[in-house]
Amino acid sequence: MARTVLCFGDSNTHGQIPGRGPLERYRREQRWGGVLEGLLGPGWQIIEEGLSGRTTVHDDPIEGALKNGRTYLRPCLQSHTPLDLIIIMLGTNDLKRRFNMPPSEVAMGIGCLVHDIRELSPGPAGHDPEIMIVAPPPMLDDLREWESIFSGAQEKSRKLALEFEIMADSLEAHFFDAGTVCQCSPADGFHIDEAAHRQLGEALAQEVLAIGWADA
Amino acid sequence: MPDMRFAPPNPLRIADRASGLNSLSVRSHNERLVLSLLLQNEATTRLEIGEKTGLSAQTISVIVRSLEQEGLVVRGEAQKGRVGPPTTPLMLNSEGAYSVGVSVGYRNTHIVVVDFIGNVQHQRVMPHKTADTFDAPEALALEIHQAIAGLSQSRQTRIAGVGLALPTPPIRSGPDHDVLHRYLEAELGLPVFVQNDITAAAGGESLFGTARQLQDFLFFYLGARLHGRLVLNHQIYNGNSPLSYDVGVLALERALPPGDAAAEKLWGQDHAWPSMGPQLATWQQACAESLVQLTQSLLQFIELKTVVLSSFVPADICAALCMLIRQEIPSVNAVVGRTSAAPKAVGAASLPFSSRFMVN
Repeated sequence: MARTVLCFGDSNTHGQIPGRGPLERYRREQRWGGVLEGLLGPGWQIIEEGLSGRTTVHDDPIEGALKNGRTYLRPCLQSHTPLDLIIIMLGTNDLKRRFNMPPSEVAMGIGCLVHDIRELSPGPAGHDPEIMIVAPPPMLDDLREWESIFSGAQEKSRKLALEFEIMADSLEAHFFDAGTVCQCSPADGFHIDEAAHRQLGEALAQEVLAIGWADA
Repeated sequence: MPDMRFAPPNPLRIADRASGLNSLSVRSHNERLVLSLLLQNEATTRLEIGEKTGLSAQTISVIVRSLEQEGLVVRGEAQKGRVGPPTTPLMLNSEGAYSVGVSVGYRNTHIVVVDFIGNVQHQRVMPHKTADTFDAPEALALEIHQAIAGLSQSRQTRIAGVGLALPTPPIRSGPDHDVLHRYLEAELGLPVFVQNDITAAAGGESLFGTARQLQDFLFFYLGARLHGRLVLNHQIYNGNSPLSYDVGVLALERALPPGDAAAEKLWGQDHAWPSMGPQLATWQQACAESLVQLTQSLLQFIELKTVVLSSFVPADICAALCMLIRQEIPSVNAVVGRTSAAPKAVGAASLPFSSRFMVN
């Protein structure tokens, strides 16, 4: 029986190429979701749900309500159920100047998503799926032309991992800090390049297997 | 009523990121369940932990992560299984915690320092000036201070406590057990855990020794006298029985002709005893008979597979006794304990670990 993993994220799950336009995307096998699928092998199905600009729980006043991860998550879960594991890697876009959010509030947003997942129980046979919160790698100091949009986000981004881990601990979810295996590309300071996608996919494959799956 | 889902997060473990060991109070029951499994097995996986504890994968994930951060647990290399995905074994970090064990015996007081998987890092013997008399708590505290000082600074912060193994009935002359307990705790500034010495030795063998994987076994301690303990499902039954049999080293000493030079050597830490007269063989036979009788009397109630014999007497003597048991009772495997250098002190050193890290 194949196991299904939903990767719920932003442009770094979508595979947007650092320093390029929003339409330029890594191929599937280059993206961390594809790397993960390759390493986990035929028993696993990986669903990528990466939207550029996605926030945890906020309607974006400029980019639009469609960027709100919370409103999209529920229909997304119901579309793909049953899901064995949901990997959430969000938070970078919540640090945009327009939202004015401290890192702890971004973690609260992640917590909302975890609660929403558990309310819907989109796991096998109506059970709770496994949930893994992944903290995005910290932003670099030089964000190029994105500086005005993210102003002040760099320092906050370095605190996301701890805040997310506290949330994961408190809600009893799996957690991984992407910053321990990869970093953002200097091309724009907040997207990850092909090498980082590979490093992240490899590390997450280990994390996914370490969960311990009976008769997988 | 506020929506508790959106109250501030209430992490149980992660917030405490200080170096060294977490304080006593934060170790939850589930954390102890996981640590108990790790202490009882050389390596395990999160899947096995889930199967054995019934905890959810996510709960285990949180606990294991905090134990990794605390330095108590390390991940091994992923192992490719014959079927299914590779598994990542988890094991105790041998340098994750240390413990001091003290046993006050008939002739000697032993002091050991062990690491988290029971390797003896330091060992000292304080002979008593008079047999069956212990009157030097200050000297003992000094020995313990010196034993701890032998560890690096960072390791000193990882000492789980001091275990004190004391005989029942108490040594004829010496401080009251409670007084000694409180004195050492005040003097060392570490938690001190006290247990009957034979029970401690059985516990040490169960946690660190030959019996680590065994759920059930019969434990014998051969010292001045012969003592037994029954371990069922990793629990030591009838912890403080004062009953013992006069077929131990004391009986051999009495049997030797007065003034025999070998008598003094019996209590030492030598790897072999000097040659003795026929008394040795006679004693050995009597001792083996006691071991066999005690084992047989239990066999009518419990299907025992293993007998562990622990002792400071030379390994070849213990091995010979085990062979005699196996000959008389072929269904039972009799083996020599692994903590034999100082079984009671190593057992004492297991106490802080079992008290602080394991479920009862």
